[in-house]
Amino acid sequence: MKRLIEVRRPLDVKAALRLLPALLLAWLLGASAAEGHPHVWITSTSELIYAPDGTLTGVRHAWTFDEMFAAYALQGIETKTKGAYSRDELAPLAQVNVESLKEYAYFTFAKADGKKEKFNEPVDYFLEYKDDALTLHFTLPLKAPFKAKALTLEVFDPTIFIDFKFAEKDPVKLVGAPEGCRLKFQRPNDGSASAQQLNEQTFMNGGENSNYGAMFANKITVDCP
Amino acid sequence: MKWLSPLLFSSVVRGLVACALAAIVIATLDSAAHDVMAQAPFGGPRPLPEQEIGGLVGWILTKQSEFYREISSALRAAKSDGSAVWSLLGISFAYGIFHAAGPGHGKAVISSYLVANQETARRGIALSFASALMQSLVAVAIVTVCAWLLNATAKTMCGAEKAIEIGSYALIAAFGAGLVWTKGGSFMRALQTPRPEPALAAAGHDHHHDHDHDHHHGDGHVHDAHCGHSHGPEPSELAGPGGWRRGLAAILTVGIRPCSGAILVLVFALAQGLFWAGIAATLVMGLGTAITVAAIAVIAVSAKDLARRVSAARDSNGVLVMRGIEFGAAGLVLLFGSALLLGYIAAERVTCM
Repeated sequence: MKRLIEVRRPLDVKAALRLLPALLLAWLLGASAAEGHPHVWITSTSELIYAPDGTLTGVRHAWTFDEMFAAYALQGIETKTKGAYSRDELAPLAQVNVESLKEYAYFTFAKADGKKEKFNEPVDYFLEYKDDALTLHFTLPLKAPFKAKALTLEVFDPTIFIDFKFAEKDPVKLVGAPEGCRLKFQRPNDGSASAQQLNEQTFMNGGENSNYGAMFANKITVDCP
Repeated sequence: MKWLSPLLFSSVVRGLVACALAAIVIATLDSAAHDVMAQAPFGGPRPLPEQEIGGLVGWILTKQSEFYREISSALRAAKSDGSAVWSLLGISFAYGIFHAAGPGHGKAVISSYLVANQETARRGIALSFASALMQSLVAVAIVTVCAWLLNATAKTMCGAEKAIEIGSYALIAAFGAGLVWTKGGSFMRALQTPRPEPALAAAGHDHHHDHDHDHHHGDGHVHDAHCGHSHGPEPSELAGPGGWRRGLAAILTVGIRPCSGAILVLVFALAQGLFWAGIAATLVMGLGTAITVAAIAVIAVSAKDLARRVSAARDSNGVLVMRGIEFGAAGLVLLFGSALLLGYIAAERVTCM
């Protein structure tokens, strides 16, 4: 009888091991099933800045925050007049903003003819408080200005903590672009439809590191002759 | 040797059945929840047809997003119209329920803790509610002290949030390590035990069961006030009065980290001059969160009971199987905490920007 048990024991270890994947699955579903949701909403307008010779030198963003995040960002800032924030009073906050954005590559991803391009640290940045709305202005200079036949510029947060939406009117502008360049702007599948491609598999496959946030990308393309 | 094969076969079958049952439970839950909720999402407009959403996950994502956005407008409305507070509370409650399905809020920690230990569903529910309440209170405390009393800037507040975040990951890892230490011990002993032991017999296995609940004291945060209590492995006994302190480590581990959404809501409410409404919304949000976490905790406990029944009840080696499962659950908590701490997985971001 004793022998019987000893022979059987390894099998039950296997049975236990077989249970583990199921447990793991249940746990993963619980832990990372949904990747959170946006907590910050940004309405963006962007300008692509070209040099006289037709090279793209940088991108200028104006990001307006939603009222909830604006209230959070403005918390504790001393002002001369209550409820009115001057550019100077907001300067330290603007500094914090652009510094923190670095970690997220400014949520701006450029590709010249398929090759990834990098940006330098922002210049000309400031915060503006107007009509109860807080807007961050900043220019991202390209590390290496370039001419490209096909430029793509995506603006999005891969972790969807921030939801980027471009303004209804004049979302993207070309400034000084060579003649014949054509601008195309594509919004992410709006609203609830943005969850279109989502399914459990997406999450099981890669979680945070997957390119799942990319489906929320705002895609700007410029084709030049 | 031939006479072994039916036993061998039954062993394999039991394992497979348990596994399949777990898979079915999960699959059914997903589709059932999807079906039921798609019919009546809190009386709101019907969501998009199924094929456009991509399962429960996509739908939860969309919903929590919607509710979250509505919180700010409800708060704004409450400023001029007092009755809007009720809709604020309703929305916050719904948001809590949906939001807890996302990352964080201790579903993984609490469920794994319950599985790793001989805990009842009732205890799971109590733990869920206690930790959700603590989460709400921590959020209220941070905003009260930083924003209301000290009038600190977002940068300072965000620094506090970041410190708490890292501390909470370390706590999860430490909590997991404590569980692994003790569960690993009982697993090893179960492996080495030369004699079969009936799974549910309480008498005559003193050394085994002693170790079994020794781990509760080994967690580091828990005291050995009830050493004399439960000598049997019956869950109902373990969950008896006085066992509360054991769960304290789990509550602290989960409850220490407030959710970013609650902080944003509170600061916004403060800016609107409606701090009390923000606090009420946060507490109600925590109530919603607790319900979701408790539901998942109950599923975890039932799954373990099922596993116990399927693979252990009539089988002496069931002890080993159960110790293996408990050890695995303990390992998951440690893995989870370490991964969070080292940045391999990201939980909900803090509101620093």
